[in-house]
Amino acid sequence: MKDYEYIIKTEGVSKHFGKLEVLKNIDLSVKKGEVVCIIGPSGAGKSTFLRSLNQLEKITSGKIYIKDELLLHREHDKTVEKISPDRHKALMLEMGMVFQRFNLFPHLTVLENVMLAPVNVKKVPAEQAKKEAEELLDKVGLLSKVDEYPSKLSGGQQQRVAIARALAMKPEIMLFDEPTSALDPELVGEVLQVMKDLANGGMTMIVVTHEMGFAREVADRVLLMADGIIAEQGSPDQIFDNPQNDRTKSFLKSVLNAN
Amino acid sequence: MEKKTKAAIIAIVLIVIAWAALAAAKPSKEVMMSKCSPEIQKQIEAEKNSTRKRITVTYNSLGFINYCAFSSSSKNADGASKEVYVGFAGKVYSAKEGPAKFVSQMVNYTYRMLGCGENVFHGAKLTILLTTLTVLIGFILSIFLALGKISKNVIISKLCGAYIFFFRGTPLLIQLFVVYFAIPGVFGFAWKDLFSAPDTEAVYMGAFVAALIAFSLNSAAYCAEIVRAAIQSIDKGQNEAARALGLTYGQTMRKVIIPQSVRRMIPPICNEFIMILKDASLVFAISLMDITTISKNIMTNELSYMVFIPALIIYLIITAFFTFIFNKIEKKLSVYE
Ligand SMILES: Nc1ncnc2c1ncn2[C@@H]1O[C@H](COP(=O)(O)OP(=O)(O)OP(=O)(O)O)[C@@H](O)[C@H]1O
Ligand SMILES: [Mg+2]
Repeated sequence: MKDYEYIIKTEGVSKHFGKLEVLKNIDLSVKKGEVVCIIGPSGAGKSTFLRSLNQLEKITSGKIYIKDELLLHREHDKTVEKISPDRHKALMLEMGMVFQRFNLFPHLTVLENVMLAPVNVKKVPAEQAKKEAEELLDKVGLLSKVDEYPSKLSGGQQQRVAIARALAMKPEIMLFDEPTSALDPELVGEVLQVMKDLANGGMTMIVVTHEMGFAREVADRVLLMADGIIAEQGSPDQIFDNPQNDRTKSFLKSVLNAN
Repeated sequence: MEKKTKAAIIAIVLIVIAWAALAAAKPSKEVMMSKCSPEIQKQIEAEKNSTRKRITVTYNSLGFINYCAFSSSSKNADGASKEVYVGFAGKVYSAKEGPAKFVSQMVNYTYRMLGCGENVFHGAKLTILLTTLTVLIGFILSIFLALGKISKNVIISKLCGAYIFFFRGTPLLIQLFVVYFAIPGVFGFAWKDLFSAPDTEAVYMGAFVAALIAFSLNSAAYCAEIVRAAIQSIDKGQNEAARALGLTYGQTMRKVIIPQSVRRMIPPICNEFIMILKDASLVFAISLMDITTISKNIMTNELSYMVFIPALIIYLIITAFFTFIFNKIEKKLSVYE
């Protein structure tokens, strides 16, 4: 059925902030349906990497492919291969993103938040968009909140709306940047549950997280990122029970001590 | 809340009833006219068919009070050249001195400052019309200016920046002169030619249009800074979320950023409105008369300092009314908070 090898692939992705090199030649290939968790110390470049995939940051150099099709190729801070705007837009819509701080639109109701992009970007008729939005909100357990404004919701509920909002564009890849870090501990579970359901449903996911339990349970692959490189990667068992790299060992130790 | 609204409604109904009753009981114009001294009556009768009149009759009806003045070029038996009467609740009082004199002045001054019995390009009507239209047009222009100034296109950004710098950096009065005198001079037209009304009417209309253009262009520059600050105060995450969903720059602005920033613009725009309300007096320079100009004329012509009482009250009422409206809009836009 699928006529591509990797749903998302990066080759030699580098990112500088001025003199600071935050990402160093990152190569990553992800297969359809794979759940990749990225862990690592603060400042490692995890967020920057996710944001680069979604082009919220302009990479310095490197290539990004979606479904084996080139999305972006830059060298020395310049785009070297032009992609037609239509293809670019279509490929970008394959990715949905969930942010640490939810970033819901406060002036729109829950339903309007979820409907906004389908109606305006994909020109889905309002009736249909509403129906689909309600189905998604039902899936994340918030059908009763459709007419509330985000400020009336708890953090966990807001993050679930944010997930539904991203899903409304029917992306094939979901990027999560520390989706539970801004939540009170008792609200973390409900968001992780939604993400687990999503993973079980076959969604391709790249998740930056500090929830080691989630990574262990759900991830197909865990990456340890440090100082702008992927220091180590492997199955959760390999990484958590038998780490090879010193940086992985010291990071896991610090996390375990913290808990 | 409920109780307060009820009390307010009852108070308003009572005021309206009292107002209507007093207005109905007000002496008629004929009664007012018949109250003057016999000499003046005789003179008015004598001059009935003549074109050169030595008696000027002023009759103002304001709400539930009437004002009637007879000024003569010669002095009457008491040595006065003016007789003033006020009519209130079925009676006519001579306003030679005391409270009646004070009331008569207030009524006459207020009547003139409000621009009663004149066209819309006069007095409070002019002030309110010019200020409201200026804020509306200036605000709409300012959105484009602000978006231009924060645009990534350097040329557009510089152009908009230069516009804002120019209009904020030069006096409004000179901008008004440029629009009213210099531009028609250079392009060879007159503002009044734009209208096919009788000459004096057309002059007023032309001057008003020129003032509206100058004020709007000026206000756009000030509002642009307000709009820009409000847009830039919106959390960056909003822009990122919208872009991650595939919204274009324009859609992000229209659907996400501007709707949220409008609420933050309301208080400073209200301030700008009040500034323009006061600046509207500059139109005296192109021979339009707003509240301030009229009160200044009354003061210099009649040496009456009382004129500032109704002037201040009128300004405060206008300011209070519009502040109330702006607050209501702000409340309405903050439902989601
Ligand atoms: N816009 C920016 N300008 C300059 N430096 C930046 C910018 N964004 C991030 N950085 C720097 O890049 C480095 C990596 O940041 P990044 O946010 O990707 O780290 P992270 O791995 O996500 O860390 P955390 O776990 O704290 O979220 C940090 O040193 C950070 O200070
Ligand atoms: Mg981060």
